[in-house]
Amino acid sequence: MGTVHARSLDPLPMRGPELGIHPDDIEAPEIEHEQKQEVLENKNVVVQRVHIDGLGRTKDDLLTYEIKEVFRAKNLIDVMRKSHEARQKLLRLGIFRKVEVVIDTSRGDGALPNGLDVTFEVTELRRMTGSYNTMVGNNEGSMVLGLKLPNVLGRAEKMNFQFSYGTKETSYGLSFFKPQPGNFERNITLNMYKVTGQFPWSSLRETDRGISGEMSFPLWKTSQTLKWEGVWRELGCLARTASFAVREESGHSLKSSLSHSMVIDTRNSSILPRKGGLLKIHQELAGYTGGDASFLKEDFEIQLNKTLFWDSVLSASMWGGLLLPIGDKPTSIADRFYLGGPTSIRGFSMYSLGPQSEGDYLGGEGYWAGGLHLYTPLPFRPGKGGFGDLFRTHFFLNAGNLCNLNYGEGPKAHLKKLAECIRWSYGVGVVLRLGNIARLELNYCIPMGVQSGDRICDGVQFGAGIRFL
Amino acid sequence: MSLAAEAFVSQMAAAEPWPESATLYQPLKEDQILLSDCASSLAVQAYLRMCGLPVQVVCKSNAEYMSPSGKIPFIHVGNQVVSELGPIVQFTKAKGNSLSDGLDDVQRAEMKAYMELVNNMLLTAELYIQWCDDATAAEISRPRYSSPYSWPLSNVLAYQKQWEVRRKMNAIGWGGKTLEQVYDDVTQCCQALSQRLGTQPYFFNKQPTELDALVFGHLFTILTTRLTSTELAERIKSCSNLLSFCRRIEQTYFEDKSS
Repeated sequence: MGTVHARSLDPLPMRGPELGIHPDDIEAPEIEHEQKQEVLENKNVVVQRVHIDGLGRTKDDLLTYEIKEVFRAKNLIDVMRKSHEARQKLLRLGIFRKVEVVIDTSRGDGALPNGLDVTFEVTELRRMTGSYNTMVGNNEGSMVLGLKLPNVLGRAEKMNFQFSYGTKETSYGLSFFKPQPGNFERNITLNMYKVTGQFPWSSLRETDRGISGEMSFPLWKTSQTLKWEGVWRELGCLARTASFAVREESGHSLKSSLSHSMVIDTRNSSILPRKGGLLKIHQELAGYTGGDASFLKEDFEIQLNKTLFWDSVLSASMWGGLLLPIGDKPTSIADRFYLGGPTSIRGFSMYSLGPQSEGDYLGGEGYWAGGLHLYTPLPFRPGKGGFGDLFRTHFFLNAGNLCNLNYGEGPKAHLKKLAECIRWSYGVGVVLRLGNIARLELNYCIPMGVQSGDRICDGVQFGAGIRFL
Repeated sequence: MSLAAEAFVSQMAAAEPWPESATLYQPLKEDQILLSDCASSLAVQAYLRMCGLPVQVVCKSNAEYMSPSGKIPFIHVGNQVVSELGPIVQFTKAKGNSLSDGLDDVQRAEMKAYMELVNNMLLTAELYIQWCDDATAAEISRPRYSSPYSWPLSNVLAYQKQWEVRRKMNAIGWGGKTLEQVYDDVTQCCQALSQRLGTQPYFFNKQPTELDALVFGHLFTILTTRLTSTELAERIKSCSNLLSFCRRIEQTYFEDKSS
């Protein structure tokens, strides 16, 4: 009996959980038959031993969960498939640089005639990896230092530290990730961070220092996340000329919130999907666990995609959200919703529609936005099958509204208010897919339904982002 | 904003008359404001009353952070925001209201020198007692300063403020002083002011100036605020002409308007 290298099955690039592998990205293992030895196919075999070579600090018990299925294989094809699956599981832990599988006949004492030994040859990632970047942008230069410790305690725990030292701001983040052994989707993450954001559309500067703990687990077809977050927020004016409404929001506040989010994602890719849908519901309750801010925030996102003729895709999406203050205190500018810009309602400037004061946008307590896109390949399809496939042409129609709600009036009045003065826009553009995480858009937009105070971007608009309407 | 732009804005401001809606912001009067902020706020209020400019006082728990310079108090006039006495005096001057126009150059220099003395001695002494005297900091300053915030932010902000003031005290050489030395400095400052005032109704004879407003703000606040010890007020009470000076300004500018 010869040695079969399972590595001939398509090798997977190694990815950590943070890149978000979708089940559809991983193609089903294709079994390659060795024509000369087809007799083996139906022959019953027993997996007697599984070796894992190359382990340093990884604990054995973590791996037994991942490879236990291999023992259940009844014939050679099964052994190969199960080994391949086990290899994928091992790679997904994000702690090995390389995993190879060797299947051989059993030798030595007690070896059965139809016994097999499976050996996983693994190479662990380094104990610590570092990175160093410099970034320039927003009138600011910064230096970013990153440290990653994969597999800190030997059971696929991950520790991540990032420190950014800028000419104006310093920020840092420390996170710790721990999956449940044998059930990678069930995991907990602890975070500690300080981030500073400058929001020129509101003339606002926000510094957040916070800690959070979250727990993710799959439930039926959904992925659920429960989170607690405590943030100390410091708001200030970006310039002396900031409007007085923004100045009044300055100062410190403490937000302690419990949030829950649920995601069902059946799309084949998160950027430029061809089929499938997405439903995301997020709710946040602040104030019950202490802190100064108390509100209930509900937010949802729906996206449906359908492939039509000639590789074109019709995509429809809908967003909506409500922010209800609890108690007498009005909502903070940092909690409200913002709308507009090349990633939401195209044809308007970034977050520049809705309630405003002296040119500073204050955000709203209720919003909705809808988009309809028709994606087609580039005209005449240049670079087909290669670089050209990263591009799409799209025709779009966006609409939405953002406003403050007076909570005495009841739901009917709210709906009426959100249906008044709808902003909408249409246009055409080119989309570039950047990996599987972001996309760039260059659009020609025609904004309609513009209300006084809205800042528009009539004509060519460029956009980059992760989340798109 | 560049200096040129700021100069342009103040030119523009000069063209507009003083609006009725002018507002002065300070921390919450009952629960939050501290001696030094209260004194500075009262000085500005006294100055504006001496100028005859109406202003509405609004108490906001985040007044310190709303202020463009981070100092109490600040005024919101039209679409302008100006903080602290010095810039406010400049601002009213641009609008054509000034108390020190009748002074000659020598007197103006003298006035500025005394104002510096008050800021460097009385204000610094107030800050020292509030934040560097452990008993006052623990019993009065930290609880009051942090009253609008919830735990644990309240502790963080109070200790942050205390640390900031102590660092400033060390930088100006007050870090090593004892409480007794600070009281002696206050006494000296009061004696200097008392001598300058003499028997005149105001520091520059018949007309009040911004110096009178500043001295009144600090002395009146110290006299009427309850601290862990009455020592600070006692030091002022030893100068009787300053006491009658405070009473005079209170009666002239604060009592008749409220009645």
